[in-house]
Amino acid sequence: MIAIATIPPHELPKWYEIVLTSPFAWAIGLVMVGLWLILPRGNARGRWFGALCGIVAIGLLAWHVPRLCGWLDESVFDGLAITVVVACGATISVRNPLYSAIWFGLALVGTAGLFLLIGAQFLSVATITVYAGAILVTVLFVIMLAQPEGHAYYDRLSWEALLSAVTGTILVGMMTSVIGHATSGAPLPGERTPGMALEIIHPRGSDRLASVSVAAAGIAEEDREAGILAEEHVAGFGRELLGRYLIAMQVAGALMLAALVGAMAIVVHGRRTDGRQAIRIGNM
Amino acid sequence: MTIEHVTVEALIKIVILASGVLAGAAWLVLVERWMAAWIQMRRGPNRVGIPWTNIRLFGLGQPVADGLKFIFKEEFDPAHVSRGIYTLAPIIMLVAALGVFAVVPFGSMIPSLGHWMGTEPIDLMIAPGIDVGIIYVFALSSLAVYGVILGGWASNNKYSLLGGLRSSAQLIAYELPLGLGILGVVLATGSLRLDAIIHAQATTGWWFVFTQPLGFVVFVVAAFAEAGRLPFDLPECEQELVEGYHTEYSGMKLMLFLTAEFIHMMTASVLIAILFLGGWHVWGMTPPEQEIGWGEAILRVAVLFIKTFGVVLFFMLVRWTWPRFRYDQLMALGWKVMIPLGILNLVAVAVLGEISRDQYGMPWGSLVASWGLLMASWLAVAWVAPATTDNRPETTD
Repeated sequence: MIAIATIPPHELPKWYEIVLTSPFAWAIGLVMVGLWLILPRGNARGRWFGALCGIVAIGLLAWHVPRLCGWLDESVFDGLAITVVVACGATISVRNPLYSAIWFGLALVGTAGLFLLIGAQFLSVATITVYAGAILVTVLFVIMLAQPEGHAYYDRLSWEALLSAVTGTILVGMMTSVIGHATSGAPLPGERTPGMALEIIHPRGSDRLASVSVAAAGIAEEDREAGILAEEHVAGFGRELLGRYLIAMQVAGALMLAALVGAMAIVVHGRRTDGRQAIRIGNM
Repeated sequence: MTIEHVTVEALIKIVILASGVLAGAAWLVLVERWMAAWIQMRRGPNRVGIPWTNIRLFGLGQPVADGLKFIFKEEFDPAHVSRGIYTLAPIIMLVAALGVFAVVPFGSMIPSLGHWMGTEPIDLMIAPGIDVGIIYVFALSSLAVYGVILGGWASNNKYSLLGGLRSSAQLIAYELPLGLGILGVVLATGSLRLDAIIHAQATTGWWFVFTQPLGFVVFVVAAFAEAGRLPFDLPECEQELVEGYHTEYSGMKLMLFLTAEFIHMMTASVLIAILFLGGWHVWGMTPPEQEIGWGEAILRVAVLFIKTFGVVLFFMLVRWTWPRFRYDQLMALGWKVMIPLGILNLVAVAVLGEISRDQYGMPWGSLVASWGLLMASWLAVAWVAPATTDNRPETTD
């Protein structure tokens, strides 16, 4: 950890010193290389090395993340988080779209578990019901009916593997460092130097994982007591949804109704134009 | 109580419930075979008792023999299957089926066990803090589709793939009336917790089967379809459709599939007993006080088990007395009859609840109205729906 607040500005380390001494930066770099290597680029060379890079990066990050709560919560969190990260990596790197969908399902279940761990019960079960139970099943239907064996070679490649690896890693790295800064309790210094965001997570956190994530969202502790930790917090959630956010919910509902009507219109139109032909083929 | 105490308590409950559910599934298969034999005027399995003796015990040893046979059977994986998913599919199915029981109460609560476990009474539920109980059940039962669809695909067999698609279309279609049936109960209770739903019925004394008969019918039909039981057992239609998604399975993997199907039926029975039949409540026997002793606690568990067993017997009776629906009839019933009736029930519950909110005492008016609604919708369905359906393709030119 670099205690920035106590060092005078002229003795501030250079940005490359910060980058080279920060395990977070090393982890991000390794993730970038590993991601590029395991993406389906057309040849399988270096896939295992890429996976190794990814594992080392996850280990580095896990070692760097501060212990925030008891061993039981901590081990559950670590297990879920690693599951989600590995499943996401596998989702974008396997070449069979069906396996990809299954890995994505595992990532969704892990995410639901993380939601449950911080007390967001409704969000957790809604993730499973909506994403895993409805959307992903539809995706599976499409994949099965579209015959994955019949795909062309170029359909199984990821285009611009290098660019997407770099972009994704930079995005995730920036978000991690900013959220880490917001939750570390350290005040954001007025003078921004390059690489300052890399000084991420400070071990001076509170004792609960949940309060960290809530603090990241800018919610006060008493709001949390009244909201998510309340005995019937789902009822409160529903009250909010149909009270303060009523118009947004109705607009979303109207949008979905319009989509449904549109789908029906497409079905009816299609039946009118080629219905006779389909029946004739069926009778042959 | 510390987090370790809570964890140990939950683990004990998990062991009790998981072993109870699996053993219950094994012996309920025996009950089902007895029921089949009784209906078909045969004797049924009545020989297996204690080995190497002449003690038969009415055939109560039959599940042990069946289980051993399944375990020691050759587990043959065809060479053309997609190995990883072929193995994964039955595991997903069984995990989703067992995971539901985390929020299902198997009684009310028992008094405190002394100083080590704290002074508060212990809830007879694995995860008593879950506030979204019924949506959790719904979420996990929607995961059961994966077992069907992946098993059918991984078998790499056209019959299995078509069977998997057929069954998953059925499961998806009947999830909607299932949810609509649940929503009526949730609306009347104001809570998603299963123990709160039981408690609401116990305090008023009006089970939801009396106040929401239409919702009960919709939920029971949808639960039959979700559990894949006759008259909706197209997922495992042995005679005409070569069993669908588990044609290629054998040995332990097949047993996982069949056990999961049976556990689905048990889950549906417990849910029907809890949501509509009052859970552990019987008038005059189990008053809904919070402070309960051991006798009261055991009585409540017994009442819930008897109700659940009664619903299971009803499931079995239907299985051996009803013919199977054709696929288009099944889909038409789901989309054109059950979903509109479910929406009608939901609207009726909302309107009647709003009208009778300020009146205390017996809800006679809303009671008459809801039963009248059931009769009216029954007549309407009988009037509109044709007695026979013609699914032959239209003749062209």
